[in-house]
Formats: sequence, C-alpha cells, structure tokens
Amino acid sequence: MQTEATPAQADVSELDLVKRCQAGDAEAFDQLVLRYRTRVFAMIYNMVHNEQDAWDLAQDSFVKAWKSIGRFRGKSSFYTWIYRIVMNVTIDWLRKRQIKAGGAEFDDAIQIKDIDPASKTVPKADPLPHQRMERTEIRARIDQAIAQLSPEHRAVILMKEIEEMQYHEIAESLGCSIGTVMSRLFYARKKLQNTLRDVYENV
Amino acid sequence: MKTFEEKWTAWLDGQLSGRELVEFESSLPDLAAAEAEKRDAQKLRVFLKKELGAQALSNEEFFSHQLRERIARETENRSHGGVRSSWWTIPRLVWSGATALVLFLICAVAFLGQHQPGDQSEYLTQILNSKVDPAANPNATVSIFESKNDNKVTVLWTEGLQSLPADYASK
Repeated sequence: MQTEATPAQADVSELDLVKRCQAGDAEAFDQLVLRYRTRVFAMIYNMVHNEQDAWDLAQDSFVKAWKSIGRFRGKSSFYTWIYRIVMNVTIDWLRKRQIKAGGAEFDDAIQIKDIDPASKTVPKADPLPHQRMERTEIRARIDQAIAQLSPEHRAVILMKEIEEMQYHEIAESLGCSIGTVMSRLFYARKKLQNTLRDVYENV
Repeated sequence: MKTFEEKWTAWLDGQLSGRELVEFESSLPDLAAAEAEKRDAQKLRVFLKKELGAQALSNEEFFSHQLRERIARETENRSHGGVRSSWWTIPRLVWSGATALVLFLICAVAFLGQHQPGDQSEYLTQILNSKVDPAANPNATVSIFESKNDNKVTVLWTEGLQSLPADYASK
C-alpha cells in the first residue's frame, strides 16, 4: 500500500512512530496522519459519497486511533490497524444513518449529490463542459451502484479494488474471516457488474 | 473446504494455482463463459480504480491542523481527568479510610474516658454496699440504688443472702 510520505519521512519506520505515539508524542502521530490522511479520506468518501461527512469521519477515525494507540501491539501492520478503526467508524455511521432513514435500503438511504467541480476530489485536469458533465454522470452511477451494497460489501470491494489490499489484510481490518471476505467480494462484484456493465463497457 | 464463491473469487484474482486451479477449472460447466466473466470483472476493477482512485483530500493542511487541535484538546482533557483519577487511587482510599478509623477510635476513647460508667445513668446516684452478718451470710451483698430525680425511687438489691436476719423477718 502506498503512502504519502516523502523519502525522508519514509526513513522513519512506522513502528518507531507508533512507539513515539504510545509515549505521548503528538508530533509522531502527525507524521502518521500525513502518511494516511488522503487514503483514509478517499476510502471513507467512496463509502459515504459526501465530502463533509467523509472529512468528519476521517477526523473521528484519527482521533480514535490516537486515543487507542496504546493498545496497538504491532501484531498487524499499522495501516491494517487504522483501517479497522476507519471501517468501524464508517460502518457504524452508515448503520445509524440507515436506522434514521427508517431502515430503508442502502440505495435509498444515501442520496447522490452532485460533486462540486471546484472540489479537489474530482480530477484536476480542466475538462470541457460536456466532459465534466459526463464524468459527473459516471461518478453518480458508480456512487449509486455502491450505495446499493451493504456497508460491509462496500468496504470489501473498495479495499480490494481501490486499495489493492490482500484478503488477510481486509479480513483483519473488518474483523472477519478470509472466507467471509472472499464471499463478500463475490457478491459485491456480481452486483456491480450487473449495475455498471453498460457504463464500463462504453467508457 | 472452500465454497464455490471463495474459489471463484480466488480464481478471478489469480490466487488459485496447481492442482486447485486445474480442479476448479475442470469443475466449471462452461470455461469459455467463465473466462469472459473474468475479463468482465477485470474491466470493472480497472474502471473502479480509474474513477474512484483519483480522490484527493482538499485542504490537507487544514485537515491536519484541525486534527492537531482536537487531539490537543483530548490530551488536555485526558490529563485533567488523569490527575483527578490518579489521586483517588485504591491505596489512597485505603489509607484515607484507615486514618479516618484511627481518628474516630482516638476520639471515641477520649470521649469515653471523660464519662465514667457510674455517671452514665441518670437514675442511680448512690450504691451502698453493706455486708450482712458475715458469719451467717458470707457472700451476701446488699445494694441500695436511689434515684437522683424528684420521684424518689429507691431499689434495694440483695444478693447471696442465705437467711434473713431475725429483725428483718416479717411477722
């Protein structure tokens, strides 16, 4: 998994940073945040499809990580550990939102919102108006398709296809078995293939 | 034992090899159709990676700044909470309890020392012990209790009396 660290920062091992965090060094935690903030944000954004919610949930995840970093024993990699926190926070949030929405299906519970063209969450190249509209439509179709998946299926497909994580890493992050991860991947892929085939065949 | 879904997923991701791969492919009713679906799944993967992988966090520095502030607040709250809770540790509570008990006992002893048992009763002011004839009643004791109040109650208490003196005998 790639991180945002510069070569100099990468020299400092993650474990050293974690140990410093456990000793109360907030500066070390800042470096860990620097390494993972974009990926954490992107993962959450793809789960919740709203920039402000993703921002808040990413903040909550990092605060939770800071509070519980004393319990990190180094049995798994740090990013697997932090992804577990991120997933717990995000899936809990999605579940609560589903309850508030009166137990509606996920595709109803999450509204597809237009992406602000000025936002940095869209590609930075200046597309032509019709291209921009097309991208917005594609993005909306993807968001809509992902919104039909349960939070656990969303998490699995995003970690596998976007983050390129291994089965065992996904299993650790979600606190489930590898078999469950593979099974969820099977159904999530089938569902996305059915709903998005016309889009990715024509792009 | 892997389920079909697990094997299919592993096959799509190129995680099957050797005998397992041969067995799985031979178990498929239509390998050509399965291969087409595999290619389709790969297209989906590339598409998702391209469309969703370009997410960027806007205002990264502000994100970190906000987080630093939140963590500083949390740390401050935790340290205040920590001071309060660490002061009232169990050993401290035990010592406090023991000290309070000792002080209570000292006060109780001092208080009881000032008040003799004889003064505890408001009713008995005088105890008169007199022996009756020691030859006839060697263990006999006669006590008279008198009330100090105005109601003038007097109690005569006799103990160990084997026989009454002749002049006490009722007629």
